[in-house]
Amino acid sequence: MSKIKIVTDTTAFLEEEVLERYGIKVVPLYVNFTEETIKDGSIDNATYFHKLMNSPEVPSTSQPSPGDFAKVFARLVEKGNEVVAILISSGISGTVESARTAAKMTAPAHISIVDSLSTSGGLALLVLAAARAAQEGKSREEITAMLENLKSKLKVFFVPESLKFLKKGGRIGGAQALLGTLLQIKPILYFSGGKIEVFDRVRTMKKALARLVHELPTTGEGLELFLLNAESGENIQRLKDLIRQRLPGLPLKTYEISPVIATHVGPVAGLTFIKHTQNTVPGV
Amino acid sequence: MTQIKKENSYYLDGDDLRHMILEACSYFDLHKESINALNVFPVPDGDTGTNMGLTMRAAARELQQVETKSIGKVADIAARSSLLGARGNSGVILSQMFRGISRGLSGKEKARLPEFGRAFQYGIVYAYNAVSKPVEGTILTVAREIAKGSREALQTSLTFIDLLRVAIDKGRGALEQTPELLPVLKEAGVVDAGGLGLVVFLEGCLQSMLRRADIKNEIYFIEERRPSMGATASTGKGGGTGETLSKEEFNPVFPYCTEVLIKGSDISTRKVRRSLEELGDSLLIAGEGGMVKVHIHTDHPGTVLETCLFFGSLHDLKIDNMVDQYEETRWGISMQETGEKGVTANFEANFSPGEQGSGEQKNPGRIGVVTVSSGKGLAAIFTSLGVDRVVSGGQSMNPSVKEIVEAIVALPAEQVIVLPNNSNIKLSAEQAAELVAKEIMVVDTRSVTQGLAALLALNQLKSLSENHAEMCRRARQVKTGEVTYAVRAAVINGLQVEKGDIIGISNGCLLAGGKEIDATTVALAEAMLTPGDEMLTLFYGDNITGDQAHELQAQLCDKFPRLEVELQYGGQPLYYYFLMVE
Repeated sequence: MSKIKIVTDTTAFLEEEVLERYGIKVVPLYVNFTEETIKDGSIDNATYFHKLMNSPEVPSTSQPSPGDFAKVFARLVEKGNEVVAILISSGISGTVESARTAAKMTAPAHISIVDSLSTSGGLALLVLAAARAAQEGKSREEITAMLENLKSKLKVFFVPESLKFLKKGGRIGGAQALLGTLLQIKPILYFSGGKIEVFDRVRTMKKALARLVHELPTTGEGLELFLLNAESGENIQRLKDLIRQRLPGLPLKTYEISPVIATHVGPVAGLTFIKHTQNTVPGV
Repeated sequence: MTQIKKENSYYLDGDDLRHMILEACSYFDLHKESINALNVFPVPDGDTGTNMGLTMRAAARELQQVETKSIGKVADIAARSSLLGARGNSGVILSQMFRGISRGLSGKEKARLPEFGRAFQYGIVYAYNAVSKPVEGTILTVAREIAKGSREALQTSLTFIDLLRVAIDKGRGALEQTPELLPVLKEAGVVDAGGLGLVVFLEGCLQSMLRRADIKNEIYFIEERRPSMGATASTGKGGGTGETLSKEEFNPVFPYCTEVLIKGSDISTRKVRRSLEELGDSLLIAGEGGMVKVHIHTDHPGTVLETCLFFGSLHDLKIDNMVDQYEETRWGISMQETGEKGVTANFEANFSPGEQGSGEQKNPGRIGVVTVSSGKGLAAIFTSLGVDRVVSGGQSMNPSVKEIVEAIVALPAEQVIVLPNNSNIKLSAEQAAELVAKEIMVVDTRSVTQGLAALLALNQLKSLSENHAEMCRRARQVKTGEVTYAVRAAVINGLQVEKGDIIGISNGCLLAGGKEIDATTVALAEAMLTPGDEMLTLFYGDNITGDQAHELQAQLCDKFPRLEVELQYGGQPLYYYFLMVE
């Protein structure tokens, strides 16, 4: 039986150590300034934010080309692997399209493309679950079926400090309605059907964080959770404290957001989680 | 042929009633300012008199256009037009009284004294029913005492004039008792404004009667030659059975108030409505999907329940015989119900454009939002947060039921949330909701700031009832403050203010008073704030400049360094500032 290899994109922003452990291959997206193009993930967040905040221009981002994917897919399939590529939501990026084109160009019979309908930590949760399943020797069909199940359980909530970046980037789905808001509000956004939608609107960051935590299950059993962070200052610590109060003892990992996503969201705090049931085992 | 007759054989016709209402309306206008002045708080927007006056004016305008001699028709026109023109709680209550009177007189060309007396008492019952939790010491107490007193008078009175004199006398007596029943009135040293409005209305009626009696002398009280003709047009349901009910009994066509909660899956409220609407009147259907609440007045509660059973399981059943309910009040009301379909039903037909097959585009999944607010700035803020229609009005100008109805009807949405943003507009909003054949829920927001807080929770992906519940919850989470000036001297909560002083009010308490706007606003904020408050939003009115407001904002930032202070242009009249604390 052939081996399953997991492919994702840089918006999952997995650490080098994790990538190596599971043999996960990553295809980068790009941030385009007039003067230079930065490969997503090739620069640390503090440096990138400094650049983003101080740049007079608004950078654009771009999806990997089909060629980028084709190279990776071809190499993996040549070595006798099967591929499951789990990628940033088609609701906010053309990455899935590029990957599908690449799969058709290479070995469609050996490659599954999974639209995560999410990104960042949410995408990472799916990628990790798939990687664990692959190590356990699950088949491509079993893994894609499991991912469909997990996608329905995956929640991603986040509170951007301002709507400035979302507005510039334009990939904001239902959050569009927020832009004309005259009253200062903290929107709680989430992924719904692969798009960014408004979950709730409150007036202050404290309430917004409380609202995030309110969405968590009441017990930590089977709960796999990442905090999402990009330059959110003390807010991420406040969020951590609130979660600890509600679910003491739950391991809390803070997950940074890749430059491509940060370009569209700006400073942000959030959380993503999956409440696992018996057939979707929580991981490390 | 015509002669003055004693006892209960006098008749009042449509002309009499029309002149009575027209004259009462003019008389009322002369007194409305003194009614306005009876506010619990010495704020400049006391408007009970204005609201009741405008409600009567709406009836008077229509009545001037008609020439019918039928007292039933005149009463019906007065009821319909005053209901649509009703402003403020007192206006709605008054319009409900007209509605009850119209029910009592329905189908009649002329009315004898006892008939008119009963119709009037029917009106009192309607007024009571308009309010979900009647409070003693208000217009309702006055109305009830008048009903009680006039019932006794019906046994002895010789003329309508006598009857009205007794009613006014009883009303005055009850009015004087209102401060004993409602402590806020006592503290403010006033009687209830709505109650006084009712008495003034009756005085207007009396004046009309006296004048007409003078002019027409004995022609005025005409004896009906054949009392059985035309005067008792009461029929069964549908109006065509010709069955005459005894006048001395309370015989509503739909005596059973029936309430039931249906639990099921994907219940279509439209289907429920359609299958029940023939079974009675006052039909209200709320909720959706898994849970639908039904309220109906019917003559066959069993049929109603069987019909509901078709849609799911039945819970929280409640069936009351309204005859018993009325009798329990011991007013000894005996009423006569006619077969004419209720005002509500008729209006529903008028206000359901969708039913009439117009080509209007609809978005059934979307929830529309109507709110009431005054000031350009606030309207813009509401609109930016997702309100579809802002009905102009607020503390100083309550909108009419009609204005709210029109706003609801104009929305393409089939489900509508109404934010009245004022406790005195709530009843109008509820009446409007009854008049339109859409699913409508009123969130009891009592201030603009509560309205804003509720609105933030609006989520188009959730159901109407989920939104309603969440919006109610969120509205209560903000603290609201208002800064205006005193229109009279008063001592409230131990604070003494002179006429013209600046006053700060929050949650029904006078918390600050002084000579300066800024100092009073700061004092009000200080009194309102509690540890844990994060944010103060200041909405400045049309009597404050942007510079003045920014200066105050800076002062507040200095004084409360841990607080975020946001400034917004509200543009509201009379109120220098609205404060929203979260």
